[in-house]
Amino acid sequence: MKRRQYVIGITALAATFVIFVLPFIFILLNASKTSQDSAALDFSLPDRWVFFENLIAVVQARDYILLLAYWNSTLITVCSVALMVIFGAMVGYILQRRHSAWNKVIFGFVLAGLMIPPAVVPTIWLLQQIGLFKTIHGMILIQCAYGLSFSVLLFRQFIGTIPRDLDEAARIDGASPLQIFFRVILPLLKPVTVTVIVVQSITVFNDFTHPLYYLPGRENVTVQLTLYNFQSQFVSQMNLLFMNILLVTIPPLIVFLFFNRQIVAGMTAGAVKG
Amino acid sequence: MARVELHDIRKSFGKVEVIHGIDLTIEDGEFCVFVGPSGCGKSTLLRIISGLEEQTSGRIEIDGRDVGNLEPVERDIAMVFQSYALYPHLTVGENIGFGLSLARKPKAEIAEAVNRVAETLQLGHLLDRRPKELSGGQRQRVAIGRAIVRDPKVFLFDEPLSNLDAALRSQMRIELTDLHAQLGSTMIYVTHDQVEAMTMADKIVVLKDGAIEQVGTPMELYDKPATPFVAGFIGSPKMNLFDGDVAAQKGCEVYGIRPEHIRLTDDGDWHGRVRLVERLGADTIVHAEMETFGPMIIRTDGQSELREGREIRAAPMPEREFRFGKS
Ligand SMILES: Nc1ncnc2c1ncn2[C@@H]1O[C@H](COP(=O)(O)OP(=O)(O)OP(=O)(O)O)[C@@H](O)[C@H]1O
Ligand SMILES: [Mg+2]
Repeated sequence: MKRRQYVIGITALAATFVIFVLPFIFILLNASKTSQDSAALDFSLPDRWVFFENLIAVVQARDYILLLAYWNSTLITVCSVALMVIFGAMVGYILQRRHSAWNKVIFGFVLAGLMIPPAVVPTIWLLQQIGLFKTIHGMILIQCAYGLSFSVLLFRQFIGTIPRDLDEAARIDGASPLQIFFRVILPLLKPVTVTVIVVQSITVFNDFTHPLYYLPGRENVTVQLTLYNFQSQFVSQMNLLFMNILLVTIPPLIVFLFFNRQIVAGMTAGAVKG
Repeated sequence: MARVELHDIRKSFGKVEVIHGIDLTIEDGEFCVFVGPSGCGKSTLLRIISGLEEQTSGRIEIDGRDVGNLEPVERDIAMVFQSYALYPHLTVGENIGFGLSLARKPKAEIAEAVNRVAETLQLGHLLDRRPKELSGGQRQRVAIGRAIVRDPKVFLFDEPLSNLDAALRSQMRIELTDLHAQLGSTMIYVTHDQVEAMTMADKIVVLKDGAIEQVGTPMELYDKPATPFVAGFIGSPKMNLFDGDVAAQKGCEVYGIRPEHIRLTDDGDWHGRVRLVERLGADTIVHAEMETFGPMIIRTDGQSELREGREIRAAPMPEREFRFGKS
């Protein structure tokens, strides 16, 4: 038994290494090469290490567009995730606690939001009609809409583990419904809130296609789109492209490393332990 | 202080009516206990009084004021839950002061009130802990503290002791009785434990299937149960109840005799055999198989030498037999 566990463990580690670590090393190596060197796209050590030169080149490229992209992406991520947490928790709370005929309808919409793929062209048309096309706040609302269903489901599930007695005790203590939510329920949602924040901010931050469709324009660029820009501009400069990839991947990676444990806890834990 | 009056309270969940018209007056300062088997509607009735649940029809008055449509806070009541329902993210002190902080009382006033309550309940050294760092009995005290800090007119308890072990439960019973004596407020207490009912109540309300079976002081219910149900519910061990032929011979529909009102004497008319002996120290509970009656429980003193299989003869104490539904 012991031996078998050992073998399985090693196999899993090896697979992880091949799938996740090797590509990363490949990126790292190529990001440190000169442009002629990197054009070969092979798995060799650089002839000359020019990591920092490449870094500076990427940041300065096209008039510091990468910094603008970071700003835009961060803005979109923070705002849309904040909305997802607030609305997700509120909707989840009502869906879990109040039983009315509307619940089924609302729940149907939530599930539809998960299952039905978004249609791009009608969405763009709608955005244009209400004047939100090519705007950051339009993008924020879209990201929020795409992520809300999943957040609602996570919150609803978690709120199910909070005893209803707590709501009632708060009501007896004189809390209004909003006070019950903000002073009793929301603080207890911390584990699942962390999960939602991490999962959704990584998704939003890494999103390539939606900003591509809904957010054209140089001043609206997001980090993932900077890759696209580079590909057209520096066809032969693979080293800069890889450096860009590296810079774009690092923030989500850091978030994930930090919150890894809480994410799993939030997915599985109940709020109130005896 | 407060007198609670219920007039023809009814409650339906969907189409099912679970409370069938309850009229009840609980006097100012009284310790009133609702007892009854599981599912008889005790909690529902208490929640209607608290305002957590709305009655389908009927009127509730506290101190002569119709409170039927008011929120719990406006009724000036406090409630202690079976699960304690302490806020896990707040410290003991914050738990106790939560209601006051919602009412936007000044910090100093809250702190003073919390300290006063903590002193009464010996919680002073625990104020900075969180509920999960407390023992069951301590959590119970915090829940009670949260109730008394607002100085309500009426206290409502829903089986507050049922999560505690036996020793702690009997200790908390005494503490609650003391608290009642000290505060002098009206208390309504739900339990399905007849010992709690007997020991703490000024007035017991026996409920069955959503209706009142009998109301009275503990000794009234013990001495003069109105129905076989009440007779069987009050008193431990349970009263021996017999229907059918035995009852017919005695000229009634149900014949009852309490275990402690049967004497074991050699000249008794009832014959039987001991099936099982439970020795409790102070007294002995004998489970016997009697001729004509069938199984019967008899309580006798602790020094009894009875063994399983022994033949016994017994007789009822005079004036202690109950005949229900006399025809
Ligand atoms: N929210 C509800 N919806 C439907 N039926 C309910 C609801 N709450 C209670 N009931 C029903 O009402 C009846 C009385 O319930 P209640 O909780 O008052 O019983 P209880 O006397 O407190 O029992 P226990 O001793 O087990 O706590 C039960 O038959 C129960 O099924
Ligand atoms: Mg109950």
